[in-house]
Amino acid sequence: MLVTAWAFYGLGSLAEGRLSWTVFTDPYIHRILGFSLKQAALSATIAVLLALPVARALYYLPELVGKSTFLALCLLCFVLPTLVLITGLVALLGSSGWLTPYLGKSWSLYGMQGILLAHLFLNSPFAIRAFYLQLQALPASSWLLARQLKLSSWQQWTLLEWPQLRARLLTVWVFIFVLCFNSFAVVLSLGGGPQATTLEVAIYQALKYDFNIPEALSLAWLQLLIAGSLYLLMTRFGSSGWLSADTAKLQFLPIPPRWQARLHQLSYYLAWVVLLLPLLALIPNLLQINAERFSKLTIMKPLLTTLSLGVTAAGLAVLLALLILSPIRKARLEYQTRKQWLLDGLANHHLVMPAMVLSVGLYVWCLKHLNLETWGMAFVVLVNTLGLVPFAIQQLKPRLFQFDDQYQHLAQQLKLNTLIYWHVLLPWLARDLQAAFLLCLLLAMGDVAIFSIFANDSWISLPWLIYSYAGSYRIVEASVLSFLFLLICAVLVFWLEKIKNQ
Amino acid sequence: MLVIQNLLLRRGSWQRRYDLQVEPSSIVTIQGRSGAGKSALLAAIAGFESVVDGDIQWQGQSLLPLAIEQRPVSMLFQEHNLFEHLSIAQNLKLGLKFSSEAARQTAIQAAAERLEISAYLRKRPSELSGGQRQRVALLRTLLRPEPIILLDEPFAELDAYTRELAAWWVRETAKAVQKTVLLVTHQHEDVERLADQNLIFE
Repeated sequence: MLVTAWAFYGLGSLAEGRLSWTVFTDPYIHRILGFSLKQAALSATIAVLLALPVARALYYLPELVGKSTFLALCLLCFVLPTLVLITGLVALLGSSGWLTPYLGKSWSLYGMQGILLAHLFLNSPFAIRAFYLQLQALPASSWLLARQLKLSSWQQWTLLEWPQLRARLLTVWVFIFVLCFNSFAVVLSLGGGPQATTLEVAIYQALKYDFNIPEALSLAWLQLLIAGSLYLLMTRFGSSGWLSADTAKLQFLPIPPRWQARLHQLSYYLAWVVLLLPLLALIPNLLQINAERFSKLTIMKPLLTTLSLGVTAAGLAVLLALLILSPIRKARLEYQTRKQWLLDGLANHHLVMPAMVLSVGLYVWCLKHLNLETWGMAFVVLVNTLGLVPFAIQQLKPRLFQFDDQYQHLAQQLKLNTLIYWHVLLPWLARDLQAAFLLCLLLAMGDVAIFSIFANDSWISLPWLIYSYAGSYRIVEASVLSFLFLLICAVLVFWLEKIKNQ
Repeated sequence: MLVIQNLLLRRGSWQRRYDLQVEPSSIVTIQGRSGAGKSALLAAIAGFESVVDGDIQWQGQSLLPLAIEQRPVSMLFQEHNLFEHLSIAQNLKLGLKFSSEAARQTAIQAAAERLEISAYLRKRPSELSGGQRQRVALLRTLLRPEPIILLDEPFAELDAYTRELAAWWVRETAKAVQKTVLLVTHQHEDVERLADQNLIFE
């Protein structure tokens, strides 16, 4: 919260407290706002609609080939560094992409269609997992009763599936909307000029190119207001579990008729193809690189920069999440619902607080008070850490609440002191701490937005290097680095899945 | 002496008043139908249930101003008495205070042998049956230093043989170290084996 205030103080002090009111009447800004809302709404709606049949296929056909790998792939797509996906999409659908000749002359990856494609690729897998887990929570006894009463497929949908999915649909939609509304790297890379830009990118441009602080400040407030309201709506309706273990409750599950099973299989295998295509599109480019070009690539330093930034930010985020959760757990144990809700909101506000706003606020403060050559890296870690805290909290909270429900009375009864209490708690949390750390590491490694503000030429991260190559049309180099990055992320994702399913 | 004075507990529309005195070092069994307020009374003494009116005193001092952690009480719940992720031996270490590690080991080993659970010390709670878990938790509750012992249906999951074994061990241990025990049970044979005084809640 303090850092957020600090960032706004930074913006406010340089703008001398002035908001640029003309921003709110400027037709250009109206168009940007309209585009931001439209692309986010479309991305969220299509992602949800596409995810539903795949989630149902996963649920109704437990014997699907490669199901657990598919679920891991879904997780990989959600945490995939955006630049890796963008490189893959460019290799597949860009001006000289593999599929472009079949798409007609008017096809262009840049603009609304490219942004939608990238957002769908990144977020549909998240929705698939969320809906699948929600369906799995249907109790076996409900199916026992449904089959005993010989309910039709339609009745099963309206009486069992729909009531189970309804609440989750809205939260997933809002979550994806907020992510797309705050999306930066996708829009920066695939936006294609002023026709297709969002508030997040407009803030970046107002600062980096025009150095128009009052305009950046006004846009930041506008962005925060919209994303914040939606976040409030989302917390009002509950949270989205999507990383829980695959706890198969297959008892009494009805066997779908043959034509339905075929349809389920079709959507499942289609989802496989769609999710794999942009990733596999990187491979042909790998064959084009020769030893000389490969030796010119400086991989080690950016890789180490990315890993050390990621590890530090993820470690700090997990630690901070544990500390932040203490008062929330206390409020919950004391049945102080309002206080718990308020603390929860404060703890998660970085989910909607655009990283760009935070980075820019701190950046302008730094311009006056610090040497960015020395302190830039520290600020990249700081802002990344804050952005990751909500994800770490989401991972740790259910398990900590479970501990409180099961053992709080026992711990009090046994009069455990603080040291022994943590000695008991930490082994209970071990797997969740590892999972939270890995998830945060994956998310931190892909950061481009924060890095773009604080970076300088003396140190460069892997995604930023990919962005530079892709930006200068050196798609082969970008593909090689993206593939390497993809492999690292895949290893981390499979490790994360293993921990989750232990 | 443990004095429950005009104590009023309330949960929604349910409420109950209690008035009783328990002599130090005695064993009191409490019987009554479900919902009669037996567990609620134990929870109030331990500090988990809020008190509407009245007082709970131990040796002339009110327990009500004391936090759960400060009360001279060791309680066995109906469930969740063991941390599932820790071994039985680790679970048994918690809450015990002995002059030395050796003294603690000796006391635990002796009690575990009497309760026939010494073979399970290296295992995790999930590897034990309900009855075995219950005996582990009972052992720890009785070996703790607090003078008041509250046992909420401690033998519920035990078969006839281990029930008798555990009941005699509780009586012997409580008397040897002068504990004041309140024990909720539905079985009359527990009353016969253990009770200095039996209360029936209507």
